[in-house]
Amino acid sequence: MAPMRTDNRKKNRLTAMVLFTVAGGMVGLAFAAVPLYKLFCQVTGFGGTPKIAAQPPAAAPSDRTITVRFDANANPALPWRFLPEKTQVTVRAGEPALAFYRATNLSDAPLTGTATFNVTPFKAGEYFSKIDCFCFTEQHLAAGEEVAMGVRFFVDPGIFTDPNTQDVTTITLSYTFFPAAGGDGKEGEKPQQAKASAPAPVPVAGSPVKG
Amino acid sequence: MADQETAAPGGHDHDHHPTGWRRWLFSTNHKDIGTMYIVLSMVGALVGGAMSFMIRLELMDPGIQFNLFGAGEEAAYFQFYNVLVTGHAFIMVFFVVMPAMMGGFGNWFVPLMIGAPDMAFPRMNNISFWLLASALVLLLVAAFTQGGPGTGWTVYPPLSSAEFHPGPAVDLGILSLHLAGASSVLGAINMITTIFNMRAPGMTIHRMPLFCWSILVTAFLLLMAMPVLAGGLTMLLTDRNFGTAFFEPSGGGDPVLWQHIFWFFGHPEVYIIILPGFGIVSQVVSTFSRKPIFGYLGMAYAMVFIGFVGFAVWAHHMYTTGLDADTRAYFVSASLVIAVPTGVKIFSWLATMWGGSISFRVPMMFACGFIFLFVMGGVTGVALANAGMDIAFHDTYFVVAHFHYVMAIAGVFAMFAGFYYWIGKMCGRQYPRVLARIHFWSFFIGVNVLFFPQHFSGMAGMPRRIPDYPDNYAGWNYVSSIGAFITTASTLLFFFIVWRTLSAGEKVPANPWGEGAKTLEWTVESPAPFHTFEELPDMTDKQAAE
Repeated sequence: MAPMRTDNRKKNRLTAMVLFTVAGGMVGLAFAAVPLYKLFCQVTGFGGTPKIAAQPPAAAPSDRTITVRFDANANPALPWRFLPEKTQVTVRAGEPALAFYRATNLSDAPLTGTATFNVTPFKAGEYFSKIDCFCFTEQHLAAGEEVAMGVRFFVDPGIFTDPNTQDVTTITLSYTFFPAAGGDGKEGEKPQQAKASAPAPVPVAGSPVKG
Repeated sequence: MADQETAAPGGHDHDHHPTGWRRWLFSTNHKDIGTMYIVLSMVGALVGGAMSFMIRLELMDPGIQFNLFGAGEEAAYFQFYNVLVTGHAFIMVFFVVMPAMMGGFGNWFVPLMIGAPDMAFPRMNNISFWLLASALVLLLVAAFTQGGPGTGWTVYPPLSSAEFHPGPAVDLGILSLHLAGASSVLGAINMITTIFNMRAPGMTIHRMPLFCWSILVTAFLLLMAMPVLAGGLTMLLTDRNFGTAFFEPSGGGDPVLWQHIFWFFGHPEVYIIILPGFGIVSQVVSTFSRKPIFGYLGMAYAMVFIGFVGFAVWAHHMYTTGLDADTRAYFVSASLVIAVPTGVKIFSWLATMWGGSISFRVPMMFACGFIFLFVMGGVTGVALANAGMDIAFHDTYFVVAHFHYVMAIAGVFAMFAGFYYWIGKMCGRQYPRVLARIHFWSFFIGVNVLFFPQHFSGMAGMPRRIPDYPDNYAGWNYVSSIGAFITTASTLLFFFIVWRTLSAGEKVPANPWGEGAKTLEWTVESPAPFHTFEELPDMTDKQAAE
């Protein structure tokens, strides 16, 4: 009986060690899910994540057009006025287009913001590519400063051949500015609704002009 | 009883039989720890049940019934209501069903059924229990801290993030779940090791009773799901307190990622709740039909299959997050596939009963009740698995009715079946039969009156987790609350039965159920002695235990 018990003990320890490793591995997988999920979203356009392209497409643009609408939001913690210059443009698929947004720092302190973005409908994310965007970097605005910020993008003509996206005629590109995290963001730790002290807001070209 | 104890095999009980509080606090005995788990589960059931009763009282009529915080403080009361909803779910899942099934019956009967003297790691077993007890205390502390966690058991950010739950309540809740998770993982490792390494000679894995199979599969689910929850909770904790942005869009995170992580744990979790119930029901149905279970291997591997597929269907909880058509098509099909192994189980139970010599003792009544309720919930589950329907039904009372049928009350029926089946073995005394029958019928009627009308409220569009509703939902909500009164009365009757059993139940022999009860626990006397199977039973020549 006794030798059998010690035998069992060894075996039990080995089994438990394997099982602890599995449990530890699953914790690791949970954390690995974070970069994997990000990668997955970028690769597949999941959840309306636009693609990032280095170059405009080489192929000739398609004849078919699609409407791109622009949406802009600023988180209440960041006292910025943030608006698109045009609310929508109509572009030919495959042709790069340039659109501008205008941001005004309404406070009397320099502020740093960073923008998150996606497109709706989500399934169009796969076919919406950005070549250049203000959202790739943090934006610094001095007190009362107003800047125009550009985004260069194109819509992949593949959107017309994918059966899932046959019903898409309009893509909405949306941005939300948040106070940037980290040291620079501290400039805005006391966000003051100092509209009065800020320079008179420059009229923004927000009229629904066709592009 | 005294003469029975002296007759215990290997009669050296006095060697390892601490008395008084040391026996419990320092316990390394699988039966004592199992008993403690069952007691914890009963305490949890009282607290969690009281919370749900308060929910039903509030929902009995339209409007706000019990604003405890006075006029003008509606927001505080709504938060309190959300805390009730959250607390009810957490307590019922982590501190009632899991401790009763895995910790209670699992600890008590897995070693007995496989012919092992105890669990593989008795001291780790002790740690598992006391971690869970501490977790319960921590959760109750959280509920009384600065408004409490009103996040629902899903703890979705941004509701659960620092912006909307700034106080320490959610942090305490997270720590409580961490402890409960650690307890479960340790318990699972213990169970798997015990089942793999400590079976009696001849007790091959394919001869093992189905209850042990169910615990084995459940333990694997715990082992792989709980650490994922722990990882997600840690991210949430650091998001809330240390400035990370896993789920914070402003820092590049995504709240939907939490939903993926949570449901990757959450879906296996619902199988963790119900699988041991499958095991208990298999033992009970076989015993009281006096037949071996129909399709033993199919039953065992149906559970294994359910366990595997359970990890691949999580996004059917997330159809409204904007998944594309192909993703939804996959999750719909994968979810529907689960109906196959569960169907195998249902039909095998029926086939076991078919042609059997059935005696409708109370455990068998509860097992049949389980099958009925589980099929009811399963049917609505097949409906909800379809993304097209689910988008309309998402977060309505239809979903509430579905999961209460399929896992909550079906789980509780399995627990009651197990309780009445094994109480004689655990305490040496039989339950009072007439009272137990009244308990079954009142509970069965109560829960159906309580939950069936919620299908109607849900189809009419009544949302979950909101204390007020328009007048057109009043009728069925009133009926539902009447059901809550019946169920509550029946629950109190159950506690009376527990007391009567322990104080005045008739003494039971080793096997009170006759020839249908073939598993090893019925070969030791009742109550099971403190130490069993010091001499391993030899199962080499015996028939496969069913």
